[in-house]
Amino acid sequence: VKALQIAVVPAALGLGVLAYQAQVDNIGSTTSARSLATLTYAWAFIGAGLVAWVRRKGHRLGPLMIVVGFAMLLRQFRYSFDAATFTTFYAFGDVAYALFTHAVLAYPTGRVTDRLERAYLVVAYTVAVVFPLAILVFYDGGTLRYFDPRPHESLLLVHGSPDVVLGLQQTYAVVGYGLVALAFIALIFRRLFRATPRARRILAPLLVAAIVAALRAPLDGISTLTVRPPDFVTNNLFWWQVVGLISVPLALLAGLLRARMARLTVAGLVVDLEDTPPQEIRDALARALDDPSLEVAFWLPERSEFVDAEGRAVTLPDGDPTRAVTRLEHDGHTLAALVHDPSLREEPKLVEAAGAAARLALENARLNAEVQAQLTQVRESRARIAVAADEERRRIERDLHDGLQQRLVAIALEARTAERRLGDVDPDVQAVLSTLAHEMQDAVQELRSLAAGIHPAILTQSGLAAALRALASRTPLPVAVDAPPSRFAPEVEAAAYFVVCEALANVVKHAHASKATICVSCSNGEVVVEMADDGIGGARADGSGLKGLSDRVEALSGHLTVEEGARGGTVVRAEIPVRGG
Amino acid sequence: VRAVIAEDSVLLREGVARLLEDSGIVVAAQSGNADDLLLHVRSYEPDVAIVDVRMPPTHTDEGARAARAIRERYPDVAVLVLSQVVEAEHALALFSDRPEGFGYLLKDRVLEIDDFIDAVRRVARGGTAMDPEVVAQLLGRRPGPLDDLTPREREVLSLMAEGLSNQGICRRLYLSPKTVETHVKSIFTKLRLAPAADDHRRVLAVLAFLKG
Repeated sequence: VKALQIAVVPAALGLGVLAYQAQVDNIGSTTSARSLATLTYAWAFIGAGLVAWVRRKGHRLGPLMIVVGFAMLLRQFRYSFDAATFTTFYAFGDVAYALFTHAVLAYPTGRVTDRLERAYLVVAYTVAVVFPLAILVFYDGGTLRYFDPRPHESLLLVHGSPDVVLGLQQTYAVVGYGLVALAFIALIFRRLFRATPRARRILAPLLVAAIVAALRAPLDGISTLTVRPPDFVTNNLFWWQVVGLISVPLALLAGLLRARMARLTVAGLVVDLEDTPPQEIRDALARALDDPSLEVAFWLPERSEFVDAEGRAVTLPDGDPTRAVTRLEHDGHTLAALVHDPSLREEPKLVEAAGAAARLALENARLNAEVQAQLTQVRESRARIAVAADEERRRIERDLHDGLQQRLVAIALEARTAERRLGDVDPDVQAVLSTLAHEMQDAVQELRSLAAGIHPAILTQSGLAAALRALASRTPLPVAVDAPPSRFAPEVEAAAYFVVCEALANVVKHAHASKATICVSCSNGEVVVEMADDGIGGARADGSGLKGLSDRVEALSGHLTVEEGARGGTVVRAEIPVRGG
Repeated sequence: VRAVIAEDSVLLREGVARLLEDSGIVVAAQSGNADDLLLHVRSYEPDVAIVDVRMPPTHTDEGARAARAIRERYPDVAVLVLSQVVEAEHALALFSDRPEGFGYLLKDRVLEIDDFIDAVRRVARGGTAMDPEVVAQLLGRRPGPLDDLTPREREVLSLMAEGLSNQGICRRLYLSPKTVETHVKSIFTKLRLAPAADDHRRVLAVLAFLKG
């Protein structure tokens, strides 16, 4: 193989010189620039193919590209006036173009597997051989398209007929150059449309170059049917095709080596990831694998599910044809899964390498995700506990009022009635009953304030605004209340109420304030409760009863702050997300 | 006087009914929920409906809603609302500027039998009964001008707000009608209120003032 690879170079150079000579000697209208141009794209194919062959051992596209290049060089010998050379290379020269489309369609795997594309190639090869052969059968020395006007000699001549030759040439131009090339372009568009975003990005340069190169053929076909366009147009088309034909092998090579380059990027990943925060590992991997759609899911063994970097559960899109999943394992344990563009399936080594390079970082990120997931769980359970506690408080309050208190009042009423009915018959018993009724009345009052401390009935009955106004009116201090009549979730109302309750109690006890204001507002899905006084300040969030309330507010994912007011005093502020309520 | 009672605690309901009957008030019907209450009001056309605020099924404000419905649909039927807790906010919302034939009392006021019976009769006659607790809350809310009142005048003002007539105030404070009248006049002057033609308007004026 190595000897063959080395032999390619002198063969290409030698054949190039001969092919140049064949053109200059045999086509009167050619220029050295045009002849050199044909060599350039042929050499481009051979050179690029050689590099690909050396770098990607076992990949078939490299040798195929070399074949294309040689075929393009050999094609030039058809201009020869030597009968045998002319006949041979006229017959098989256009196979070079069929090979060209073959190479493009064989990208990136080196094989053409699509049935439609295979069918196309069969047609292309057939047309490229059959038409020239047929022309040779009837050609007896007339004018050939693209050829020097001097007559050539066909060894295959059976029956000379300039009319048949002309007809065949025109049909060949329309069918071969026109339709086959259009079909090729259509197949390329089909590929672009079918490709996933990442594959499309990788395919695009090659396919655009291929289209540019192939576009001359249908234009030639069209010009056959109509008038011959002026020389400057055909000239431009020629150079246009040359640029396309040079770009295609380069694009093929770049595409083939891109995976190697990507692996180099992956090697750099290890260094990169050393100081990458867990949340950005995905970005680094997406860059290394050239797939912006990449997602990383971490496996949590104890929960038996995948989560994202923030610890939220994710479902892997197994079975989704537009996404592919690569599970990354270490020591037989699933570590994480990469959800990526299906085009990366063609480069499993690359994905594996990236996964291996990122293993340590992924391990860290997985732990981080685990902690996040646990935090979320704790947060949720904390909120549930808070809600349950509130419900419990409301239930106790209801039981006290509707059960115990009713009963006490009823019994006290019995005592009162007995006391009255007894009249003045037994003053001693009457006095006992009277005391009994009084005591029970006091008990009812105590019960009422106890229940109010657990959960004020007015909060359930009339909402936060009413409850705060009631609270304000009981406070021995002028308190202005500005609150909307809206209702919120019971636990939100309760938390807000008790924050104000505690803050107000602190103001009365410690602040030496002359007045206070309570302001409730609701915006951006948050209830904001603010209590400000004009006292001496100095209250702290972690002091006194506010700490417990801070916990209660935070359990609802809210936030409690205690600050010095702008004009002295203290501002207690609670922000609580509204939720359903 | 004919009354209907709605109260879900049977023991308490029976107790209150007996209390009323003992005082010569006819209890036409008793019920334990708001729907039956409305039915009773329609069929018995009582002078007054005594309503518990919290009743089944949710034990939140069924009674309050029933009370509002009675006031709207049967303006001739007075309503006395009994509640486990009283709040000025709630009271004022229920009064809705129409104190005639309306009362709002803490449930344990039934234990002050004479005052309670008095309140029932007053409300049944088209008067007002506001719980002292509510009045105290309202009084606490408006310091300013109230500071000028003497302690006795504050007492008289509270009783006016509760809905008592001059006579009632006399009995409650053991004062002569003349003294009470003097106090009332003085209060109206100090608070810069226009003298009210009758007891209804007087309550309205006082409550409106306290509401601020």
